[in-house]
Amino acid sequence: MTYAIFLFGLCFVFGLLLVASNPSPYYGVLGLLMASAVGGGFLVGVGSSFLSVILFLIYSGGMLVVFAYSVALAADFYPEAWGSRSVAVNLVVFLSLLVFVGSGFSWGLSKKGVGEETVDFGGISLIRGDFGGVAILYDFGCSVLVVSGWVLLVALFVVLELTRGQSRGSLRAV
Amino acid sequence: MPTILFNLGLAFMTSMMGLSLQRSHLISALLCLEGMMLTLFLMLTTWATEQQSSLLFSALMMLLTLSACGAGTGLSLLVTTTRTHGSSNMNNLNLLQC
Repeated sequence: MTYAIFLFGLCFVFGLLLVASNPSPYYGVLGLLMASAVGGGFLVGVGSSFLSVILFLIYSGGMLVVFAYSVALAADFYPEAWGSRSVAVNLVVFLSLLVFVGSGFSWGLSKKGVGEETVDFGGISLIRGDFGGVAILYDFGCSVLVVSGWVLLVALFVVLELTRGQSRGSLRAV
Repeated sequence: MPTILFNLGLAFMTSMMGLSLQRSHLISALLCLEGMMLTLFLMLTTWATEQQSSLLFSALMMLLTLSACGAGTGLSLLVTTTRTHGSSNMNNLNLLQC
């Protein structure tokens, strides 16, 4: 399981590398989706499977909106994938920087010894930690829940004001 | 635990480099921000699981809420930029400033 988690983590880094190497947004969204899927596997390995489901459903659902926007608004005539020249140069430069930084990291970590254990919440129990932790939000954390709902409402009005385009919003005819 | 921290630190650094070095589209910058938020989510989940503390998992829901707000506001800024400047390339934002 240790190696599986390490492999998931490396694939996660690679997915973010695909996003960060500045391809066209269609392909960047694909890299981010790959990173979120691999991140879900990472969370299963670490031991909180419910959070993995939440990540995969809610986060990927949100990513679907971003995907639709990127297809609709960033229409390039010649979309650049990772085989294109500038993107490939970016990819190689970022990868070499990461190898450089990562070798420094791993040298520092080797002083402490790289051992690893995954933590499942021990034993057979009725309520797992991650289920219960999310459910705590509705009991002790009800004030936090109200604040989060209020923040979402305020964000809705912020979006409406930003894109309204009448005489009083942020878009004005000068 | 150190290898998990290693991977997540590298992932955060990758997204931050991608955000700060070169961006041609505004939505690519938004994608890098989403990647940073995803890395933060994984970090916080790993931390809460290692601490075996259930209370920390409710902070994750709040993180997801705030990232949804950020993504929504970023997308609305993208729509605004497209409506005023015709496209969402970052060069246009520099060219047409007053």
